[in-house]
Amino acid sequence: MSQEYVVATVDQVPAGKHIIVHVRGREIGLFNIDGKYYALPNACFHQNGPLCRGAISGTVVVNAKTEWKRTWAMQGEVVVCPWHSLEFHVPTGQCLAYPKRKLPTWPVKAEGDQITVTM
Amino acid sequence: MLSSTLQDKTIKRNGMTVVDVDVHAHETPAALAPYIEMPWRKTLEHLATVPARYLDIPGFAPNIGLYPSFPESGGQRRMTVTSADQMRTDLDDLGIDIGVLFPDHLLTHAALKQTDYAVALARAYNRWLVEEWLGKDNGLVGALIAPHHDPVAAADEIRRYAAHRNVVAVYLPTCCVDPLYGNTRYDPMFKAAQEEGLPVMFHSVTAIHPVFPFNLHGFDTTFGAHILAHPFALIANLVSMMETGVPARFPELQIAFTEGGVAWVPWIMWRMDKEYAERRREVAALKDRPSSYVRRMYFATQPIEEPEYLGDMATMLTLFGGEDSVLFASDWPHHDFDHPSKILQIPLPEETQRKIMGGNALRLLRLEDRVK
Repeated sequence: MSQEYVVATVDQVPAGKHIIVHVRGREIGLFNIDGKYYALPNACFHQNGPLCRGAISGTVVVNAKTEWKRTWAMQGEVVVCPWHSLEFHVPTGQCLAYPKRKLPTWPVKAEGDQITVTM
Repeated sequence: MLSSTLQDKTIKRNGMTVVDVDVHAHETPAALAPYIEMPWRKTLEHLATVPARYLDIPGFAPNIGLYPSFPESGGQRRMTVTSADQMRTDLDDLGIDIGVLFPDHLLTHAALKQTDYAVALARAYNRWLVEEWLGKDNGLVGALIAPHHDPVAAADEIRRYAAHRNVVAVYLPTCCVDPLYGNTRYDPMFKAAQEEGLPVMFHSVTAIHPVFPFNLHGFDTTFGAHILAHPFALIANLVSMMETGVPARFPELQIAFTEGGVAWVPWIMWRMDKEYAERRREVAALKDRPSSYVRRMYFATQPIEEPEYLGDMATMLTLFGGEDSVLFASDWPHHDFDHPSKILQIPLPEETQRKIMGGNALRLLRLEDRVK
């Protein structure tokens, strides 16, 4: 049964930053993107690397809309695994390389000066 | 030809349709001379006086023969098919219903310098092919040469012949190509092929040349050079096309690879997937793993690998969905041709055999309505 856990205070995770917290025995990456909070597991499914210790970035997008030119997009929304550079879209957990692979995400909210994750 | 003792009994069982996606018409300078424009007719008339060498004519099919040979050695059998009637007879003996014609000498078309000459030669070959080989509905169909030296001219050739009933594919010479086919200069060619619904067939050969597959001079023997030249050229061009997202940018383009065997396919597919995980940003036009595109491509069997346990071939085919993407090819009449019975020795379900021996090719080449 899911439950809310207080995991951090808001001043620990200012906009553009992310930290690692522990919830129910799991390591979770807690992200603040423009004032919205997100949580991803700190484990990349590729080789179990510490995904959320990776840098926040954008990514290269090439498609018909960009007229097949290289463009930079999603700045601040992509976490890159520090081991082998697999990229994940933080708000959705979507792996950018593999359209069928998504990481689980958990609801995060700030109440007063506390941040809670429902897990 | 020397007929197989197995013919017909093996091949024709249960009315299996056999489509051979790689047979070779012997185009000589003398044969093409009437079909080429000036001043190149003078060139071909001159080359016609050069003593014939097997698939090696300076200025027409440039090759460098580095290795000594002995009489009756493997690879020394030099047969040519010089007419449509002869080809039809040969294919009947082999139990083949439909054959896709490729050139002989112009397998090294990419090694030719002088773009205007290479384009003129390709146009002449296409005229000759249509005029002298593809005039009857007798199961002979052909792949036109797209002179990739000038991709706009190549696109023009594709559009010129796309409506011809017996032109079923675009032949792209894959040995000695520089730059490799991923380069965006080739986009007009791929665009034309996609719009006209003609598959592009990358065909390999062995040649010593400074571009991929380079360094073949490092081998002491034809054994070494021939093992690697064919698949390396195909692999290099496949990887190159993946780099610039050709299969993503031309999603309706149908792509086939001929004369490199098939066992390299799962290996390079997995190598590309491995690299993609780390370097997706470099190939961001791809929407998914490279293997997801490879699984939509086609691969011709010849020269088919012959492991000690042929069951290993059946296993290998499952690794990349080969049941629906592998095409029988004999490479007739070349020295290393594969008889259809070799493919049928692989322990596969009959339905899979039917697909590989003909069904997949009929779909790719849009020939399904030709078969009763």
